[in-house]
Amino acid sequence: MTDNVEKEIVAIISDVSGFEPEDIKPGTNFFQDLEIDSIKAIEITVAIEKKFKISVRDEDVPNITTVKEAVELVNKLIAEKPNVKA
Amino acid sequence: MLKPKDTYDAVIIGAGISGLVCGCYLAKAGMKVLIVEQHYKPGGYCTSFKRQGFTFDAAAHSFGGYRENGTMFRIINDLGLNLRIERYDPSDVIVTSDYRISLWNDPNRTVEELQSAFPHESKKIRDFFYFLSNSEPFDFVVLRKKTFRELLDQYFTDENLRSILSFPVLGNGGLPPSLISAFTAAKIYIEFLLDGGYYPGESMQSLSDSLARKFKEYGGELRLSCPVTKIRVKENVIEGVFLDKSTFILTRNVVSCCDTRQTVFDLLGQRLVREEFMRKLETMQPSLSVFVAYLGIDHSFEPLLRPGVNVWIMPHYNIEEMYLTLRDKSINETMGYMIRLSPNGKSLQAFVNAPFKNKEYWIENKYPLLEDFIRRIESVIPNLSQHIVYKDASTPYTMYRYTLNYKGAAYGWASIPSQLFAPEFKFIDGIGGLFLCGHWTAQTQGIPGAAYLGSETAKLILRKGKYGL
Repeated sequence: MTDNVEKEIVAIISDVSGFEPEDIKPGTNFFQDLEIDSIKAIEITVAIEKKFKISVRDEDVPNITTVKEAVELVNKLIAEKPNVKA
Repeated sequence: MLKPKDTYDAVIIGAGISGLVCGCYLAKAGMKVLIVEQHYKPGGYCTSFKRQGFTFDAAAHSFGGYRENGTMFRIINDLGLNLRIERYDPSDVIVTSDYRISLWNDPNRTVEELQSAFPHESKKIRDFFYFLSNSEPFDFVVLRKKTFRELLDQYFTDENLRSILSFPVLGNGGLPPSLISAFTAAKIYIEFLLDGGYYPGESMQSLSDSLARKFKEYGGELRLSCPVTKIRVKENVIEGVFLDKSTFILTRNVVSCCDTRQTVFDLLGQRLVREEFMRKLETMQPSLSVFVAYLGIDHSFEPLLRPGVNVWIMPHYNIEEMYLTLRDKSINETMGYMIRLSPNGKSLQAFVNAPFKNKEYWIENKYPLLEDFIRRIESVIPNLSQHIVYKDASTPYTMYRYTLNYKGAAYGWASIPSQLFAPEFKFIDGIGGLFLCGHWTAQTQGIPGAAYLGSETAKLILRKGKYGL
């Protein structure tokens, strides 16, 4: 499941940033490597929320700088979802 | 039989700012690019026209985002545009019966001016502007579901201050604080109000013309007065565009900078578009349009008005009511408006948001409403009508006629949080090689917003290598 989550997230980041999925690695930095600005940050967040039917909390947002951190957060939010199998 | 000259690496529909910028980047990268535009001049909302010796900017009247590392600064430098850019200080002045607040080129000076007008909100004013000026990209993610009203409420208790801060957002975004997304409002502050007041040479047309010239220098071809009639798709991939029934242009990439409805209903045909996309499209609400008065004058109204400065006249503090009356009725006596003396000091432009209504309404009411508007402006600028030597107006229908934006919308889709979309309006699923661009594809607007989307779409095309070079 985690691998799939990562794949889906990478696909979303690729769509928004224009970088190919193979260029998007766990350690890839959103700002330094993928030129993510405020608009793209929102587009990625909204697309992830819609895809996984989760809601990213305000307090989690500032901690995200790499793809790995985004995947971990999404996995955590999926696990916390009530009555839904992660 | 198709000749080789009818084949392009990309065809861009619309020579507004997003189309021109996208075209420049693609042509610069070596692609063979054609931009087609239905109007006889390039620029979209960034065009100017001459009447009886006066030059008027049709809609866009200045731009922002030209600070170092700002969107326009980056794009103008990337493309090496040869433009003489002036900046006016202050860029904007907000006038109410109690206050006259200037938005200075130096944001610290703006903060100090607001603090002296609202000393009880002093710390919060500094915090608010600090947030706008110093946040990192992900800091804005927390704004994605909020309205500007909610953001203002986090900082301020003074209702008049909240209204003063909301009025130029209504003027630049067409929505009151209870409806406009906090993100869009923040972008309006960052790109238009805290870094605004720039003017490109003779008129706004200079910016569009300079982009068009650069595009041609890079080897691009621009065809004006040339509407696209159809986008042809074969086996889920773009095959080309029809310029009229008999002229077919072969291309693997189409960048559509016109509105999404036009792209889907008129150019593509909805049978090619997935149901989910159509359902979303049917629920989308466009932004308001604008009514613009163009006045040629023979007198200087300084110091009431200064060249190149946007003056926002707020007759009262109830922005919500102002918006509802504009949306549901029309322009009227309770409306606020923006007035601006042109940089050469010879003409005035006055703007108010307006609903689209229909062609007949505006044919019937354009001139009576213009006269009403002039009378209202005269309460701020005495004896104005004695010094008008030329007058005309654009209505929402005029905006539609020249740009074909759905319902003459001034800012693409209405920037309400529920319409804050993921990238789903930048592509149409299942159609390879079709890119949607311009102010209908993201919640960013105005010249910096459109230019940003043009450069980003070009990057997407170049990075993805989805084009058949």
